[in-house]
Amino acid sequence: MFDSRAVIRLLLGFLVALGVWFLFAPAYERAVAPAAEFLIRLGERPGVTRLEAPGGEFLVNRADFPPGAPHPGLPAPDLHFNFVLLAAFFALSPRPWRGDRVVRLLLAVFCLYLIHVVFLVFQVQSVYATSLGAWSGAHYGAMARNFWAAGFHFYQIAGRFAAPFVLWWLFGRTELAASAERPPGPRRRKKKKT
Amino acid sequence: MKLRGSPEGSGARRRSLGFLLRFVILLVVFYLIVASHPVNDAVIVPFTGGIARASGKVLNALGERVNVIGTEIRASGFGVNIENGCNGVETALLLAAAVLAFPAGWGQRLLGFLLGFLAIQVVNLIRVVSLVWIGRHRPALFNSSHTVIWQSAVVLFGVLIFLFWASRQTRRAAAAPEEKAGR
Repeated sequence: MFDSRAVIRLLLGFLVALGVWFLFAPAYERAVAPAAEFLIRLGERPGVTRLEAPGGEFLVNRADFPPGAPHPGLPAPDLHFNFVLLAAFFALSPRPWRGDRVVRLLLAVFCLYLIHVVFLVFQVQSVYATSLGAWSGAHYGAMARNFWAAGFHFYQIAGRFAAPFVLWWLFGRTELAASAERPPGPRRRKKKKT
Repeated sequence: MKLRGSPEGSGARRRSLGFLLRFVILLVVFYLIVASHPVNDAVIVPFTGGIARASGKVLNALGERVNVIGTEIRASGFGVNIENGCNGVETALLLAAAVLAFPAGWGQRLLGFLLGFLAIQVVNLIRVVSLVWIGRHRPALFNSSHTVIWQSAVVLFGVLIFLFWASRQTRRAAAAPEEKAGR
C-alpha cells in the first residue's frame, strides 16, 4: 500500500535517477540522434537530414542547407529528462533493486527510448514545417504543419510527463496499480440457494 | 495471487488496461481543450498571469524587487516568462485524467482533483519563486533547476497526490462491504 516509506523511496529514487541522468545524458543523446535520423531519412529522397548530439542539444544539419546557414539546435534535456520521473516511479515499490523489478525498469526504459526517438522526429519535422520561413511553406502543407507541430506540442505539454507514468503503470505493477484493477464498491455476492 | 490466464487474472489485466486507456483518452481530450486558442487566451494566459502576480508578491515580500508584466517577472538583470509547462497546468491535466479514470465516486473525484490542484499550485508557486531567485543569484544553476529538477518535482508531487488519493479510495471500497456486513 502507498505509505510514507514509499514517499521516501520515491525521493531517494529521484535523487539517484538525477545523478544517473546527469552522468549519462550526453551518451544517451548520442544513442537517440542516429535512430531519429534514420526515421527522418526514411521520408526523404534523397536523405539529407543529419542529427548531431554534441551534448545538451540536438543539432539539425541538412545537406541542402545553404553554406553558412545556421543549424537549428534543439534542447535535448527537454526531450529526455522524463527518465528521472520513470526511475523515481519504479522506486515506489518495496525493494526496487530486486531482479525482476530491474528487468521491468529496463523494459520501460527501452520503451521510453523509443518514445524519445519518435518525438525527436516530431520535433525536427515541426522545425522543418514551421520555423524555416519560406522553405517551410514551400515544403509542408497546412495539414502536415499542424500534424508535426501539434504532435510535438502534445509531447511538451502532456506527453513527456504522462509517458513515464503510463510505462510505470504497465511495467511497474505496484500493489496500488493493482488496486485500480478492482471494481469500485462492494462486490455482489451470489445468494445461496436454499 | 493471480494466476496467469485465469479468468480473475485476465479480468484484472483488462481493468488495469482500461484505466490506462481512459487515462490516455482523457489526457488527449484535456490537452486539446487547453491547447485550443480560445481556452488558452481566455483561461490559461490569465491564469498564468495570476501565477506571475502571486509570485511577484512573494518575491517582493522577500525583498527581491521584481516587476510583473502579464506573464513575465522582471528583476534587475534577469527576467522570466511563465509559459505553458511552467504554470502547473500540465501536472493538473495529469491529475485530472488519472482521478477521472480511476474507479471512484464523483464526489470523491471532484474533491481529490480540487485539493490536488490547490496543492500543485502551491508547489508551483514555490517553484517559480525559487527559480527567479536562482536565476538572479545562481544563474549557472538555472537551466538544470528549471528543466530537470523542478519540472520533475512538480510532476512527482502531482502523481504522489493521485497515489495518495487512489489508495484512500481503495481502502474505502474495501471497507464498504465490511461495514455492510457489520450492520
